[in-house]
Amino acid sequence: MSTSDHASQSSVELLYIDHHHWLQGWLRRRLGNASDAADLAHDAFLRLLAAPRRFDSVAQARGYLRTMANGLCIDLWRRREVEQAWLQTLAARPEAVEPSPEHRAVIIETLLEIGDMLRRLPQKAATAFVMAQVDGAPYREIAHRLGVSERMVKKYIAQAMLQCALIEAGLAP
Amino acid sequence: MAATDLPAPPENDAAKAGFDSLEQAASWYATLRSEDATEQERQSWRDWLAQSPEHARAWAHVEAVGRRFDPLRRSGREAAVAGIEAARRGTVGRRQALNGIAGLFGLGLAGWLGWRHTPLPEIVMAWSADYRTATGEQREIALADGSRVWLNTGSALRVDYRADIRLLRLIAGEILIQTAADDAGRPFCVDTRCGRMQALGTRFSVRHDEGRTRLDVFESAVEIRNTAGAVQRVDAGQRADFTGHIISALEPAEAAREAWRRGVLLADNIPLGQLIDELARYRPGRIGVAPEVAELSVMGVYPANDPERALAMLENTLPVRVRRTLPWWITVEAR
Repeated sequence: MSTSDHASQSSVELLYIDHHHWLQGWLRRRLGNASDAADLAHDAFLRLLAAPRRFDSVAQARGYLRTMANGLCIDLWRRREVEQAWLQTLAARPEAVEPSPEHRAVIIETLLEIGDMLRRLPQKAATAFVMAQVDGAPYREIAHRLGVSERMVKKYIAQAMLQCALIEAGLAP
Repeated sequence: MAATDLPAPPENDAAKAGFDSLEQAASWYATLRSEDATEQERQSWRDWLAQSPEHARAWAHVEAVGRRFDPLRRSGREAAVAGIEAARRGTVGRRQALNGIAGLFGLGLAGWLGWRHTPLPEIVMAWSADYRTATGEQREIALADGSRVWLNTGSALRVDYRADIRLLRLIAGEILIQTAADDAGRPFCVDTRCGRMQALGTRFSVRHDEGRTRLDVFESAVEIRNTAGAVQRVDAGQRADFTGHIISALEPAEAAREAWRRGVLLADNIPLGQLIDELARYRPGRIGVAPEVAELSVMGVYPANDPERALAMLENTLPVRVRRTLPWWITVEAR
C-alpha cells in the first residue's frame, strides 16, 4: 500500500468517526429500522473507501453522504419490492422451490438488471420477451395470453431484444 | 459495480454502424425464435451472418443478451414475469442512477438553422438567447446551482439566476430539466410566452412551439400559472398543454419526451404522421406524409440524430417508401 493509499484510507477513517453515527441515525429515520440502517451506513463508507474524496466542510461531507445514502435506500426498497413480487409468485406454484441464498441473490440481481433494461418498453413487449426467454414459450401461447397476434409477438421480441442489446452495448443508457 | 462492467462507449460512427447491425440481429433473433420459422428464413439468416464480421459480432452480442435470462429459468416463467414487472416499476433505473448521463447518440451534431418555419419575433429572440441549438443539434448545460438542462433540436433558452429566483426562459423548442436543491431556497421556474411553471420537484420537460407550451413531469410535480392566471398542478407521470388562455386536461406523460436526451425517438404505437412530425424537427427541409399511410401505427426506437437512418428503418418495417423530390423535400408514401 502506498503512502497516498494510507492517506486516503485514514481520511475515510476520520470521516467515519465524524459522520458514521449521524448517517446511521439519518438512515434509521428514513428506513424506520435499525439493522437496515446499520447495513446501509456500512455500505456507504465501503463505497467511500473504494473511491475516496476530499471534503472542504462538514456540511459538504454530510451533503455527499446523504445523497449517496438516499440512493442506497431507493436501491434497497426496489430490491425488496422485486424480491417480494418474485417470492409471492413462487409461493403460488404447486411444487415447492427452495432456492439457496446464493441462487436467490443471483436471481434478484438478474431481475433488477433485466427490469432496468426493459423499463422503457411497453408492458406487453416486456412480458412477451420474458415469457419467450425464460422457458421458451411458443409465440402462439404468448399471443394468446397477451391478446395480440403472433406477428405482434414477433415484433415485441425484436423490439425488446434491440432495446436490451443497445443498453448492453453502451449505445443507450 | 455494474457501471464498471459496461464496455467503453464506442465512437459515434461505430455507434451508428452498431445500431444498424444490432437492429438486424434483433429482428433475426425474433424470426428464428418463432416456432414457425422456415428453413428458407434460416438460410437467409446464415447468408446475413456470413455477410460481414460486423453482423457476426452483432449476432454474438444478441445471443449473449439472451443468456442473461438463464438464472431465471429454474424458478419459472411466472415468478420471472412478476419480478421483472416489479423491477420495471421502480421509478429511477439503477443504471441511470449509476451512469448519470451517457447519451451517445446525437449530442453535438451540428446542423444549420432550420428551414422550418419559425415566427420572426422568435428568431430574433433566439439570437439574444444564452443557449441555442441548431436543427439536429442537442446539448447539455450545467447550471450554477448544479441543476442540469438538456436542449433539444432547434431550441433557444435564456438563463436568469437572481437573488430570489432561478428563472429559465424557453424562447423556442424543448428542454428537459433536472433541478438540484438550492442552498438559498430559491424557487426554480421556467417561463414561456404562455405562462410560468414552478418546479416543486425535480425532473420535467417543457416544449414550446406554435404558440403553445407542453409540460411532461417525470418526478415530483410542477405548477403551471398561465398568463391568464389559471393554476394547475401537474404531478409525476402527468402531462398538460397550455396557452396563455387555457390549460388542457391532464394526460399521461410520454416517455418519448425524456428519451430525446439520448438521441432516441420512442414510438409506442403512435401514428406514423406523428413520428414523422417529430423526426422533421431534427432535419432541415421538409418531410411530408401521404394521408393514406399517416395513420399506420408505429412502434420502436429510432435514432433522432440520423433521420436518414430512421427513414430507412421505417421503410423496412412498414409498407411505405420514401420519395425524394429534392434533397430537402421528402415524402413518405404507400409502397
